[in-house]
Amino acid sequence: MSTQPLPTPVAGPPPGGGLRKRAWSGFERFQGLLFVMPALVVLAIFLIYPAYYTIRLAFYESDFHFGFFHYLGVDNFKELLTNDPDFLDLSKFPPGGALINNLRWVIFYISLSLIIGLGLAVLAVRVRYERAVKTAIFVPMAIAATAVGIIWLLVYNTDSNIGVMNAVWHGVLGQHQVSWLGNPAIVNYALIFAYVWASVGFVMVVLSAAIKGIPMEIMEAARVDGAGEWNIFRRIMLPMLSLPISVVTIWLFINVIKVFDIIYVMTGGGPGTTSRVIAFTMYEETFHNGRPGYGAAVAVIMLVLIAPVMVLNVRRFRTEKVVA
Amino acid sequence: MRRKSLIASAVALAVIAAGLTATAISAKPTKKSANSIEVLSLWGGSEKDAFLKVTAAFTKATGIKVEYTSARDFIPDIQTRLAAGNPPDIGILPRPGYIATLAKQGSLKSLSSLGLTNKYMAGNYSAGWLKLGSSSGKLYGVPAKANSKSVIWYKPDSFKKYKFKVPKTWAQLLAITKAYKAKGLVPWSVGAGPNQSQWTLTDWFENIYARTAGPAKYQRLFTGKLKFTDPSVANAARIMTQIINNKYVLNGVQGVLGQSFVGSITDVFGTNSKAQLFFEGGFVGGIATQQVNPALKPGKTIADFPWPTIKASLDHPVVGAADFAAAFKDTPEVRQFLKYISTGPAGVIWVSTNAVTSPNKKVPARAYPSVLARAEAHQLATAKTFLFDGSDLLPGAFGDTWGFALQDVIQKPGNIKSILSTFQSKIQGKF
Repeated sequence: MSTQPLPTPVAGPPPGGGLRKRAWSGFERFQGLLFVMPALVVLAIFLIYPAYYTIRLAFYESDFHFGFFHYLGVDNFKELLTNDPDFLDLSKFPPGGALINNLRWVIFYISLSLIIGLGLAVLAVRVRYERAVKTAIFVPMAIAATAVGIIWLLVYNTDSNIGVMNAVWHGVLGQHQVSWLGNPAIVNYALIFAYVWASVGFVMVVLSAAIKGIPMEIMEAARVDGAGEWNIFRRIMLPMLSLPISVVTIWLFINVIKVFDIIYVMTGGGPGTTSRVIAFTMYEETFHNGRPGYGAAVAVIMLVLIAPVMVLNVRRFRTEKVVA
Repeated sequence: MRRKSLIASAVALAVIAAGLTATAISAKPTKKSANSIEVLSLWGGSEKDAFLKVTAAFTKATGIKVEYTSARDFIPDIQTRLAAGNPPDIGILPRPGYIATLAKQGSLKSLSSLGLTNKYMAGNYSAGWLKLGSSSGKLYGVPAKANSKSVIWYKPDSFKKYKFKVPKTWAQLLAITKAYKAKGLVPWSVGAGPNQSQWTLTDWFENIYARTAGPAKYQRLFTGKLKFTDPSVANAARIMTQIINNKYVLNGVQGVLGQSFVGSITDVFGTNSKAQLFFEGGFVGGIATQQVNPALKPGKTIADFPWPTIKASLDHPVVGAADFAAAFKDTPEVRQFLKYISTGPAGVIWVSTNAVTSPNKKVPARAYPSVLARAEAHQLATAKTFLFDGSDLLPGAFGDTWGFALQDVIQKPGNIKSILSTFQSKIQGKF
């Protein structure tokens, strides 16, 4: 390759000239395409082709080779949504199945992470040992999800000599020991809480950076005008944080639709199938039950749920600047 | 000129990038050094240690290294690696049902094609074991280790203290359970919870089913010839909940679902013991005395008795299980390895660890150092009726699904019928 300095375009517009928005010549387009080519190739091989393959697979019965065995049309989807109580069960109340569990995750995981993260961010700014607090809360972010799972398996242990939860519940409050992961009514919330613990640090760090970006004068002015702290939070901070909050929410949403590792480690989707979520069902059907086509249908449903949020996110990034 | 070189470099870059990704994709899984094999197994703890002793002896004798890969949740591991064209050389498979599935899809090498003739195998193993490792008349699995699952673990000194006699019938077992409860002790600990411990419930069910419905129905049920909606199934499930309920197990039914298999052994035989009785296979002895609590004294603080009879006419058939070694590849190293582990001397090394019982005919009883292991080997060798672990006979991953169904059963004993019919609809046509 040549070591010549980068050439300056000979026929380019004069510097500072008014021709900035001129149409790109065919050659320049070609040149641009060349530059993005490596990225496009990688993207095509590792993202676009597998996505196409998965979507196609969802309409087939497949074998362990992931081949297109037998065309089924939309049967996989029909079965998933109407005839698979492990995925969607509307016959009882409250409804159950992986899809509903994921909905629980969406509601509780996102709101808890946001509320706790925002609360910590607002409070952390006010203390002298801010950095220490933030570091402590951020640490779980640096732990692999599988390790988080192991830690919380211990925390939730039914033996109050091992499990912190039961030590408090049983030892301090004098209640009967609870099997946090063995009770179908509790298990999903127990998992959600563990995952909140692992992600709240991220929310806090992003939001506290955003809080620091709010001009002090505005708050000072509000204080001078006699606004209380609650009003400042409610009417100044919150509106000014709306963009970073929405960005974090989208991050949390994507995180929660694809949640898998912590469930795999902690409950394996059990007891029974009560703590399965969408991504776990995909894994279970594809690799455990040997039905890659059916698993691919689950993946497509997941994609359909995530795609609109992604599009929204990209649009936002294009039109606005994130303060974080 | 300059522009040309720019384009040239851009093109070069693109080509290199594309080339790199292409090689990354087409690259065959890196070949292990010719003189080594990979064995994938679900064994951990004392069972794994015992196996590593055998492989160490093999390496010493042949110079072939053995790479051990542990995978408790082995089905997904094997499936993914098969799909990627990179299976392990040898897999230790606990389920004849899964061996048949793999054999049918052409993933396994038959033993005769690997130089282990049927005659040779029959010289070392009884026909019953060999049949379990076969599919469509061809032999695929070398029976590696066997276990009785028809034993119940107890504390002899505690039985002595309360003047309990080893129960011979289910009624007597229930009486002891009630007596423990009356003395303020927790009778049982059962671990069938996170993660992947649901199989312990399937073993409970199988012992009860064999004793209430009989061996013939047992065989038919687990080979797809009898439906799970048969009243005998619900009956056995109901009998199971006579012990596995909130009254008699540690922390109640939800404790069962929140405890792992090894955790529940610790509940009974650990230094901080909380329950008195435990049911699982012969391998519990090794795990309890080697992993959980080395201070245990076999015969004094830990011992086992055969699963009691429920219906006198049906006696007490032995439910047992075995793990089989099967080959995914045909190499000289694989041939040597399978040949080696099927020999008597390898079996002797194996059982000398006290962790396993060998199905190999050439392993003498005196090779077992511990009374617990010797008793188990004796039970297996003298069983009048031997039944293979039913859930392991179910096709594909249905052994797990059946465990999930039983997790439902102990939570909602009132819903047994609907739980069973749901399971039946899932497994219908899968045999």
